[in-house]
Amino acid sequence: MQVLAPGIHPRSEALVQATRDLDRGRTSQEAVDEQVALDRDELVAFQQQAGFDLLADGMLQWQDLFRPLLEASDGLEPGPLTRFLDTNTFYRAAHATSALPRLAGPLAERYLPPLPGARLVTLPSPFALAQGTGVTPKVIAEQVLRPALEGLDAELVVLAEPFLGRSDGAPQELGEALEALAVGPKLALQLTFCDARPALEQGLAELPVEAIGIDFYLTHLTDVPKGLGKLLLAGVVDARSSTLEDPGELAGFARRLQEEREVERLALVPNGDLQFVAERIAREKLQRLAKAKTATVQAAA
Amino acid sequence: MSFLTHEIGSLAKPPWLVKSSAGAPLGESELEHARSWGERLGVEDYEQLVETLEQGQNGGLDPAELGRWASRYALRLLERAGLEIVYDGEQRRTEMYNWAVAHSNGFEPRGTVRSFDNKYYAKSAVTAEPSLGEPYHNEEFTFLQSVANHDLKIPVTGAYTIAVWSYDEYYGPRSGRLGAGHGRSEELAARREFALDVARNVIRPNLESLIELGAKWIQIDEPGASTEADELDIFVESFNASVEGLECYFSTHLCFSDYDLFFPAIEQMHGCKQFCVGFANDDSRELGRSGADRPGYEVISKFRDLPYEPSLGLGVLDIHTNFIESPELVRDRILYAVEVFGDPARIHVCPDCGLRTRSWEVAYEKLQNMVEGAQLAEQALAGSTAGAAR
Repeated sequence: MQVLAPGIHPRSEALVQATRDLDRGRTSQEAVDEQVALDRDELVAFQQQAGFDLLADGMLQWQDLFRPLLEASDGLEPGPLTRFLDTNTFYRAAHATSALPRLAGPLAERYLPPLPGARLVTLPSPFALAQGTGVTPKVIAEQVLRPALEGLDAELVVLAEPFLGRSDGAPQELGEALEALAVGPKLALQLTFCDARPALEQGLAELPVEAIGIDFYLTHLTDVPKGLGKLLLAGVVDARSSTLEDPGELAGFARRLQEEREVERLALVPNGDLQFVAERIAREKLQRLAKAKTATVQAAA
Repeated sequence: MSFLTHEIGSLAKPPWLVKSSAGAPLGESELEHARSWGERLGVEDYEQLVETLEQGQNGGLDPAELGRWASRYALRLLERAGLEIVYDGEQRRTEMYNWAVAHSNGFEPRGTVRSFDNKYYAKSAVTAEPSLGEPYHNEEFTFLQSVANHDLKIPVTGAYTIAVWSYDEYYGPRSGRLGAGHGRSEELAARREFALDVARNVIRPNLESLIELGAKWIQIDEPGASTEADELDIFVESFNASVEGLECYFSTHLCFSDYDLFFPAIEQMHGCKQFCVGFANDDSRELGRSGADRPGYEVISKFRDLPYEPSLGLGVLDIHTNFIESPELVRDRILYAVEVFGDPARIHVCPDCGLRTRSWEVAYEKLQNMVEGAQLAEQALAGSTAGAAR
């Protein structure tokens, strides 16, 4: 069993202050970048010490899940400020200025900084990035995401999908798009903050990816097909709640997935970006995720 | 006819207030801000503030006095920009959500969460049944009554927004949720109880207190109202529970939402006399008065058709950018709305939302143009009426 921390991590209070100061002209971009590096180093050291299986950089420079890709693409640009699902956090929705947008160059290192070990990278899924643009997920995959993936040094790329489970879209719409992304790193498609049942009923588990991610605060355990042939990213930490999870309950749930649903490959993850809680709460939630893994492994032994 | 112009709520805090509040020494730029804006806005006795600040250590001013100075400056900024209905840009509140929960019982802080980009807010959890510590807008309102030259509208954060912006550690289940596929019905019941408790125990006593002090117009701010598409009825119930039976002009501010979601739920908000709503954020910056020219305003006919015929506070300034809307652009947005409504008296003119993320320079220029745009619209309508009469 693994523990992983995909998605956008919250900024520390020091980084919050630094970025506020930057906006008010009281500090420099260099000073903010230094604080970002400190935050990232601490997050990485924490993951190493807690036994996370792949390292994540926390995406601390990403203003939202889409912005760096929009800014690096010809034919896509950041659009109006839009509420992210049912949170009080907003993002710039993608706006297409061309029917055939394309990534103009690789993502800057500030968005994909080097890490001292095997890593995971989080990117938006083609369906999510295509939302509202009028461009198909397949075109987005081929022209924007595939160039971003080519040459990417990552063990796993988690494609975050916040919209599919809340729309009328069917997983099949993603099939061709995901096939276009089979260019290197293993892929996971994580349905964040939603009940995955409808998508599972429509073939989510058959999509051409290594792993699928499910939010178990909104999805029933029995909705997971028995004998799932993929790695399951089990969203067992609620990133939208300040309530801290009990590691024992998490470990017990992991065992139920393994025993009742015959899940052979399992990774415990948050059910979406942890940026919806403050940094100290996020850190404690990750700590409890790691404790749940330890408890599960020890119980199995 | 004339279009009533008003602000929505927040303005940035002046740098001399921010630094002083943080206990930091003031530099020449902060002093110059106090000096130049004091002069420009005609703030009475501003020299006294500047002299006091120049002495260092805030010149012995306590935080409340500094806050009152900031209120005076912001009030004058809005008045000098030409707005008819004003307040103080919420200078003395920490932030719209935080101020409310900090003065209520039953909440505990849970840290800082991103709103967007480098903007954040302090988020709390409800940990017990909420109740009012003490009415938390009385002091600022009483002060503003004593210094305002224009009419006042008091912005009050609404019950539903407080509920939906808080973590729930009290009403909903705290364990047993994992893999249980809890139906929405359970979450909805918890949210309803939470929002209605805030409405009855926190908001309503505040409103009663303000009305007793002489408040004539209270704006219930509900930027979180459409956060959950299936909770619109809870928002409406909480609004009604807050204001029912109270004698005052009540309005609601909504922003940055899919406004279609509000219908038909808000048909039941009979106590709401005006909806002030942000539209410019989604609109084109090109001139034009047709529906095709004004994509951000497509939904306004639904507000027109509400059975109790509220006014519409038409958001015409995008508060997320430094782009300064020209008076002509404001004019065209207003004239399009008049065309849709057919009754100019039901159109009020305002920014999309509070301007606290903009500098005073940008906010002032935007507001001045808004007022000028309203005047251009009035002239255009007067011209067309005169033309029709001939």
